[in-house]
Amino acid sequence: MPDLEFKATINGRKISRAARPHQRLLDFIRDDLNLTGNKEGCGAGECGSCSVFVDGALMKSCLLPVAKAQNTTIETVEALAKTGELSALQKAFHKTGASQCGYCIPGMVMAATAALRANPFADREEIKERLGGNICRCTGYQKIFDAVELARDVQNGTLPTSALLEDEVEQGDFIGKNVRRIDTPSKVSGRLKYAGDMTMPGMLHVQVLRSPHAHARVVSIDTSAAEMMEGVEGVITSVDVPGEDGFGVFVNDQPIMARGKVRYVGEAVAAVAAEDPLSARRALSAIKVVYEVLPAVFDPDEAMRPGAPVLHDYAPDNLTKHIPIRVGDVDKGFAESDLVVEETYATQAIEHAYLEPEAGLAYVDHDGVVTIVSPDQNVTHHRHMLARIIAKPISKVRFIMSPVGGGFGGKEDMIYQGMLALLAMKTYRPVRLVFTREESIISTAKRHPSRTVLRMGLTREGHIRALQMKMICDGGAYGLSTEGVMRKAAILAAGPYVIPNVRVDTFGIYTNNTPSGAFRSFGALQTAFATESHLDICAERLGLDPFHIRRINAMRDGAVTHTKARLGSVSLMRALDALEKSSGWESGAPTSRGCTRGDLNREDIRPPCALGARFAAAGKQEAAE
Amino acid sequence: MLTCDDYLTPGSLDEAFDMMASHRGRHRVIAGATDTLPWAREGRAGDVHVPALIDVAKIPDLREISVGDRRVRLGAATPIQRFLDHSALARALPAMPRCAVWFADDQIRAQATIGGNIVNASPAADATPCLIAHEAEVELARLTGGKIARRRMRLDQFVTGPNRTALAEGELLVAIECDALPGFGGSFEKVGHRRSLVISLVCLAALLKLDNAGRKIEDVRLALAGIGPKPVRLAGPEAFLRAGPLSAARLEQAADMPTSLVASRTRQEYRREVVRGFMLRGLINAARRAGADAAVLSLELEAAYA
Repeated sequence: MPDLEFKATINGRKISRAARPHQRLLDFIRDDLNLTGNKEGCGAGECGSCSVFVDGALMKSCLLPVAKAQNTTIETVEALAKTGELSALQKAFHKTGASQCGYCIPGMVMAATAALRANPFADREEIKERLGGNICRCTGYQKIFDAVELARDVQNGTLPTSALLEDEVEQGDFIGKNVRRIDTPSKVSGRLKYAGDMTMPGMLHVQVLRSPHAHARVVSIDTSAAEMMEGVEGVITSVDVPGEDGFGVFVNDQPIMARGKVRYVGEAVAAVAAEDPLSARRALSAIKVVYEVLPAVFDPDEAMRPGAPVLHDYAPDNLTKHIPIRVGDVDKGFAESDLVVEETYATQAIEHAYLEPEAGLAYVDHDGVVTIVSPDQNVTHHRHMLARIIAKPISKVRFIMSPVGGGFGGKEDMIYQGMLALLAMKTYRPVRLVFTREESIISTAKRHPSRTVLRMGLTREGHIRALQMKMICDGGAYGLSTEGVMRKAAILAAGPYVIPNVRVDTFGIYTNNTPSGAFRSFGALQTAFATESHLDICAERLGLDPFHIRRINAMRDGAVTHTKARLGSVSLMRALDALEKSSGWESGAPTSRGCTRGDLNREDIRPPCALGARFAAAGKQEAAE
Repeated sequence: MLTCDDYLTPGSLDEAFDMMASHRGRHRVIAGATDTLPWAREGRAGDVHVPALIDVAKIPDLREISVGDRRVRLGAATPIQRFLDHSALARALPAMPRCAVWFADDQIRAQATIGGNIVNASPAADATPCLIAHEAEVELARLTGGKIARRRMRLDQFVTGPNRTALAEGELLVAIECDALPGFGGSFEKVGHRRSLVISLVCLAALLKLDNAGRKIEDVRLALAGIGPKPVRLAGPEAFLRAGPLSAARLEQAADMPTSLVASRTRQEYRREVVRGFMLRGLINAARRAGADAAVLSLELEAAYA
C-alpha cells in the first residue's frame, strides 16, 4: 500500500506528509496531526462531531478520504480562536450553557460558525436548518440556538460585547441564577481530551472479535495465526483471565470475554492489540472460533416457560430478579371499586446513543499498577471487581474517569475495561480501544423492553382503590443493572398516588437479546408509562378530567409511600398546576371536546418541522434591495 | 472500514478511462464518496478492500454547468449544494433548490454529487424525481478503440430498479441534460424520520407554469419517489391538469390519481395518504410560486395542505 504525499494548509500552516491512501481526513487530522478537537461520533456522516472547513465549505471529515482534501485549506475547531482565547460564538456557548457532555460541541461550534458565515443575519429557524447535520444528545439544542443568536447579535452590533460576559451574581447567591459552567471553555475549544483523544508513547490499538451468534457453545478458539501476524503484540481470550472472572452490577454473571459460550450477538470473544487499528482488525479475521449453535430465546415470556433454552446454569428458570410489593388486599380493593380497568402496555429497547462511543486507555505503570482511563460511570465498583478478576490487590488497580461524552447510565457497566487491563498486562504497553458506533450499539446495554399488565379499581368519583401490576422485562443476556431497575420500577409502579391496596410484581428475565441495563429513570419510565396512560384511560371511562383524577389521588406532604418511605414534601400538586397552565389544558374529560381543540396551534407551540427558512430570508433580502 | 492500495484522482476523462482500463475488475469509481464510506461499515458491506479507488469528482469536464434557454447541462460531479448557491441554475430548475434543502444536510451537500445520487439509484433518491420531471437525459461515456464513445438515455430508463442502472461495464455517467423551466413554480415535498439527513419515505417534485392571469395551468411536471422500486413520472395527473383551469376541485381530483402507484415493500396505506397530501401541497406550493391568483386557491385548501 504506497503512501500518498498529502499537501494542504491546515489551520494556517502548510503541511506535506505521507498519508495512507484509504485514510479518512478525520483520522489524518486526529491521529497524524494530533488535532483532536473534532471528534468521531458515528463515522457515517450522521452526527457532525467531525465537521471541518475544507476550502471554506463545512464538511464531515469522517466521509472524506484524505486525498479529497489534497491541496486544500482546512480549518479545524482549533483554528477558531488563538490558544487560550475564544471566538464570539464560543463565548456565547459558554454564556448560555450550551455544553453538557461537550462531545458534540466542537462540531456544533463549527456548524454555527458556518451558519453565521453563510448568513450573518440568520434567524432562529434558519440557524436550526443550517445546524441540521449535527446531533446533540444532552445539551438539548435550545441553549445552542440561544448561543448562536447571541453571537449573531453581538457580531452585528445589536448587542454589546458585554452580553457575552457572565451575568453578575451576588456573592454566594447562585440558586435560580444563570451561572456559567467552568468546564465549557475546554469543550467549546475542543481542548478537553476524552479517552479516545488520549495517546501514550508506544501505545497499541485494540480491536475486539464479537460473536455472530445469539447463543452458541464456544468449541474452540485458535488465535495462533493472529498472534503470528505482523504488528500484532497481543491476543487475549477468556483463558488469559488470571483471577475469578465475572462482572456485573448486582450479579457477576458476565465474563470479560465469552467463557464456554456466547449469549448474545456482539458479545466479546477475543481481543487483539496491534501497532495500528488496521493490523488489529486484520488479525481478528485470522482468529478461528468454532461454535456449536444452541437454541436461543428472544422473548421473555417464552424464556419463562418450562423447557425454554437456559442461558445461565445458576438461573435454570432464566429469572434474573423478581421484585414483589404487597400492600393491603387488592382483591378487597377491586371488590370495593365501581370500575375495574385492565390494559397491557409495552415499551421497547432504547439505545442511549451518547455522542461519545466507548473508549479507554490502559497501561501498567512503573509500580505495576494496572491503570484504566475510560468514561466509566462507576469507577470505584469496577476497581474492586477488576482486582478480583485479574487477581491483584486493590492497591495495584487504578481507575481514572475520563470526561464522559454522554452516559445516561449506559457507561455504568465494565463492558470493555477488563479487556484493556488484560492486554496492557500481556503486552506491557499502553493499549487503547475506541468503539465504533456500530460496536457501541451492538454490545452495550439498552433500556429494558417491558410488557406490563395493569389492573386498576376506582370509585365512581375517581379514587383509586386497588392497583395490580405485573411487568415482565427483557433483561437480555446478562444481569448488569437489571435487579436495580426491577426494584426501582416496582417501587415507583403505583406512582405518587394514595392507593390502599397494591400488588406489584416486576420480573427481569434472561434472553439472548442484547443485555438491558441502566438508563435514565432506571425502570421508572416503564411503569410510569403504564400507570399514567392507565389513569388517562380511567379518567375517560369515568368522565373525569385527567388532572382532576390525579389531584384527588395525589400524595401530599407527609405521605407514606407503598414501600413505607415517609415523604417530607411532595411537589406533585405544584407540578400538576404548572403543567396544566403551560399546556393550555382545556378542562374536562378527554371525551368532552369532540373533534375541536383550542389548545393546539398556539403561537408558543412549535409547528411541525419544515425546511426552507433560508428561502424566506433570501426573499426578504431581495425585497429590501 | 474501506481500504485501498491506490487512491487515484484523474484530472481528465481520458486519464480516468486509462486508469479504469489498467485496474479493470479491481477498481471502484467514486465521486462525492458520501455513501461509499458508510457503505463499507459493519451492518452494510463490512470491511471492504478495493485495490483501486478512482475518484472522478475533480475532473473539470464533470464539474461544468451550463444553463441554456431550453436545456441545462450539468457535469455529473456537480455538488448538490450548487442547486442552492448557483442562482442561474436555481432559476432554470425551480424545484431543485427545494429538493436540495431537504437533501442530507449543508455539509454533505457540499461533497455529494448529482451523478452519485443517480448512479446509486436508491428508490428514495431525492434528486432523481426532480430531474425526471425536467425530462432529464444522462450522457454516458466509455472508451472503445482508444476513443471516447458517448451515448444518451432518458434518466427514467437509465434507473432500472433499486440500486440498478443501465450503466455498462467500463462506462461513466458524465453529464445530465434536462429542460430549463424558468418561470415555472417549483416545489419538493418530502417526509422521513427527521428533518436533516433523512431518507425519504415519500418525496414528490412538482413544477407548474401558469398563464399571465395566474388562473390557468399551461404546463405541469410531476414525479414521485419512495413509493416503489424506482421514481415515476406522473403522466396521468399531468395530462389531466395541463391546459385546464387552476382550481381547488381539480387539484383534489388530480391528488387522488397517483395513490394507486404505491408499490413499496412496507407501509403502503400510509404512503397512499402521504401521496395524496403531497400532491395537493406540492401543487399548491408550486402554483403559489408560479404566481397563482390568490383567490383561485381556496384558503381552506391552503390552510390544510400548505
